[in-house]
Amino acid sequence: MFWEEEKALIVADLHFGKTGHFRKSGIAIPQTVYKEDLQRLIHQIQHFQPEKIIIAGDLFHSTENKELEMFQKWRKDFSLLKIHLIKGNHDILSDDWYQNAGIEVHQQGWIVQDFCFCHDLIDSSLMTHHSSLYSFSGHIHPAIHLNGMSKQSLRFPCFYFAKKYAVLPAFSRFTGTHLIKPEKGEIVFAIAAEKIIQVT
Amino acid sequence: MSLPLENTVGYRVICDWLASQQRQPFLFQQKTWQHIINGESGLVNAPTGCGKTYSIFLGALIQFINQHPEEYKNIKNSGLQLLWVTPLRALAKDIARAMEEVVSALDMKWGIGIRNGDTDTAERARQKRQIPEVLIITPESLHLLLAQKGYAELFSSLKIIAIDEWHELLGSKRGVQVELAISRIVGTRHTNHDSTLMIWGISATIGNLEEAKDVLINPLVKKGVIVKADMKKAVEVESIFPDEIEKYPWAGHLGIKLIDKVIPIILQSKTTLIFINTRGMSETWYQKILDACPDLAGVIALHHGSVDMELRNWVEENLHNGKLKVVICTASLDLGVDFRPVETVIQVGSPKGVARFLQRAGRSGHSFDATSKIYFLPTHSLELMEVAALKKAISEKIIESRVPMLLCYDVLIQYLSTLAISDGFSPDKIFEEIIATHCYKEMTKEEWERIIYFISSGGNALQQYDDYKKLEWEDELFKIKNRRIAMRHRMNIGTIVSESMLKVKFISGGYVGVIEEYFISRLQPGDVFTLAGRILEFVTIKDMTALVKKSSSKKSIVPSWQGGRMPLSANLGFMLRKTLNTVKSEMSIIKQKNRKANASISPVSHFMFHELEALFPLFELQQQVSHVPKENELLIEQIETKDGFHLFVYPFEGRLVHEAMAAILAYRISRITSITFSFAMNDYGFELLSDQPIPVDDSNVYELFSLENLMNDIQRSINSTEMAKRKFRNVAVIGGLIFQGFPGEQKKARHLQNSASLLFNVLSEYEPDNLLLRQSYSEVLEQQMEESRLMDMLWRIQNSKIIITFPQQLTPFCFPIKVDSLREDLSSEKLEDRIRKMLPQ
Repeated sequence: MFWEEEKALIVADLHFGKTGHFRKSGIAIPQTVYKEDLQRLIHQIQHFQPEKIIIAGDLFHSTENKELEMFQKWRKDFSLLKIHLIKGNHDILSDDWYQNAGIEVHQQGWIVQDFCFCHDLIDSSLMTHHSSLYSFSGHIHPAIHLNGMSKQSLRFPCFYFAKKYAVLPAFSRFTGTHLIKPEKGEIVFAIAAEKIIQVT
Repeated sequence: MSLPLENTVGYRVICDWLASQQRQPFLFQQKTWQHIINGESGLVNAPTGCGKTYSIFLGALIQFINQHPEEYKNIKNSGLQLLWVTPLRALAKDIARAMEEVVSALDMKWGIGIRNGDTDTAERARQKRQIPEVLIITPESLHLLLAQKGYAELFSSLKIIAIDEWHELLGSKRGVQVELAISRIVGTRHTNHDSTLMIWGISATIGNLEEAKDVLINPLVKKGVIVKADMKKAVEVESIFPDEIEKYPWAGHLGIKLIDKVIPIILQSKTTLIFINTRGMSETWYQKILDACPDLAGVIALHHGSVDMELRNWVEENLHNGKLKVVICTASLDLGVDFRPVETVIQVGSPKGVARFLQRAGRSGHSFDATSKIYFLPTHSLELMEVAALKKAISEKIIESRVPMLLCYDVLIQYLSTLAISDGFSPDKIFEEIIATHCYKEMTKEEWERIIYFISSGGNALQQYDDYKKLEWEDELFKIKNRRIAMRHRMNIGTIVSESMLKVKFISGGYVGVIEEYFISRLQPGDVFTLAGRILEFVTIKDMTALVKKSSSKKSIVPSWQGGRMPLSANLGFMLRKTLNTVKSEMSIIKQKNRKANASISPVSHFMFHELEALFPLFELQQQVSHVPKENELLIEQIETKDGFHLFVYPFEGRLVHEAMAAILAYRISRITSITFSFAMNDYGFELLSDQPIPVDDSNVYELFSLENLMNDIQRSINSTEMAKRKFRNVAVIGGLIFQGFPGEQKKARHLQNSASLLFNVLSEYEPDNLLLRQSYSEVLEQQMEESRLMDMLWRIQNSKIIITFPQQLTPFCFPIKVDSLREDLSSEKLEDRIRKMLPQ
């Protein structure tokens, strides 16, 4: 998601280093997933030319591993880009690590203009303090379920815009999803194959 | 060269002991003993509860006594003599007790040990210091033994490996585990050019006994013998009929309507077992029987795979000593332990196969000459037809085979890791051992190298950014040295993969059982459900445990377990089609007679089976609105309802073949026009449902069931993907790609949790030639689609008459399929178009 005014690319739940974490434990997940997630991010950066990236939590999956070295190398290639990370439950690296990687970390959430960015809506105290703000979050990896005639059904990851908040889909392809049940008036964009389709 | 059994000391000792018990050996036991003292291997074919344990165990004693005629009573610590592999933990205690009795009566110094998941660490340590002469073990624990350093030493004195209930293991991955373990034990002995090891299987009657024997003793490169216990049991089958067949539900019921007919049967007999096909249904039955006959409280019990282990043991114990009057159970009581007090067995719903039905019938009348009596209670009316088919199959002795599995990469990967954590393995030596097993005999060197590459390098990787580590190469051996990886592997050994389960506990403490996470995740606090026969109110989930409290609510939800729905066996399907033939010819005879008799007199039938007679009105209705197909006909019905356009097809081949056929047919139709289907199936037929008319008619129907391009069409119909996805979870857990977590310690490993479907998608996209992925597909082809059965069916259809009808109403045949809720999708429409159609216009 791109915010033109702020020239900010907004993403959530990248879970970098997840494949590496599994592999380190002797579980053979192909690393190509990670590579392609990273390439997709680079592609978006090249396309939108943002000044900053706002990450609504879970940039990294777990503790340090060699895959994060690859991230650091990539980071050097885009050294002008600002990265704002709102800490998610998976972001458990040391503060020094983020500093070295040139990532500005926001603990609870981060307010920019009329918007609040956080990781998990339910945990965020900022949201209750600033109830007038519209929030962007991640964490749940939302997906939508569609039913049709003759008992057909489909499921897609989605962007979920409620009245007071929005939830972003997980950027990483190597994550599960959680079904949401939108209420009337809420807007959902399903990610169907290569297209984004508004479904409510 | 062989010594006649009768002349040996051991034989006399054993016969004296038997005589002191007023018993004498059976012929099949004597035959087996003779083979054992000759050093032969083979298979004993005997039903449960007629001395099959003794045939091998006493043989081992005779051999030992013969070798030590003077001092057999005094020799201690002889090392492991007999390794007894049993599929069921619950059986171990009974077997050990029986063996100990003999040993102490003979005043011998043999130790009998049990090794399984319930064995505590102190006992294990004791066994490690001094291995008992007999070790009773499960296939999983046997592999754990192979994960111990210096395991080869344990087997150096071993004389006999006995595999109990081999028919249950054969045809499953646990059977493959047994094959691998045998290959390794034989391998440890080969290095010493030792050929004194014997392998003996014990199996109930199955269609392929010869093959069952060969699979077991393959690594010995011997021919082996089969000893049959000639004890034919008479089986009597009686159906429980609804009073009015017209009013009995066509589908979607659990047979509860017939409960009033069940109660008298229970009250009349000493102990009754009621076999129910699913755990959910058994919960409901338990409640309903208690409601209908409150007097049974205290002597009624429930036994299924999700009931707490301790409670299950209690039930088994009390069945044994005759304290229970009725037990509602699932396949969990199919195996093993003989419950002598059981007089009556009731089967609710289709047993799906002849062998299974016979085995359940055999649970009653447990002495050799007693007739086994089994009642059959249909859950919907058409099931009565199955009984007729079953009776026919029993009288014609058509019993299913258990087909052994081939080339299970997942089990092999697990096994290699197991060897790598104990003493390490030399790839060349192990390769030789593995291709000596039945399962892997077709494996090529290239496939072997791919497996080794997979576990040592972890598939596709980003070279310098990778820290994959599992196997390490040291002293010409592959080893796993990382202790955490080794520990995790030990926890994961086994091939039984359950759905992710949550424990269910009372808030006040006390364990109830386990339940699928999928089910509990849909409950709201305050919802009431039943488990283990109790009515419980869901409170909350905490630390992977569902907390509940007692409820007095009258209404409750019955959990649905996703596990095992058995398909109809090919044999039973064949008999069903033949049965319809009978129905058809009887119908025409009756018609003629009626015409002669001027129709007003009710038909006099010569139906061979009451079941068919009872169903007559139903068949008549079917014939009236559509058609009753004969053996050489295939019926297709096209019906329009408010749900859309239905196409029903009835090959009577079992749900798995139907699922595959539905997908193929849907795919072939979808090439004619852009269309989306959902489909459903049961054991009799399948349904395609669409929101637009389905273009199937006389002009194209034979083409649609053609054998041409079958393999291509299977692969292209996305359903093979869906089916592979379901298989993949098992394969991935066994192959070590999905870590199930330590019991009670799930939290620590959370960053390693992963769902199978996600992993499946990721691998399909990024590593399509992944070994485990490929295995899921070949499992689908071989087992799920039953490729050969599918081809047979299409060939049969090509040579039969296809009859398409357009009934104005739902027919008795289609109804059970229509209400089946298991559905799949197949579409040739664009995703966008499908979404657009689903959105409110």
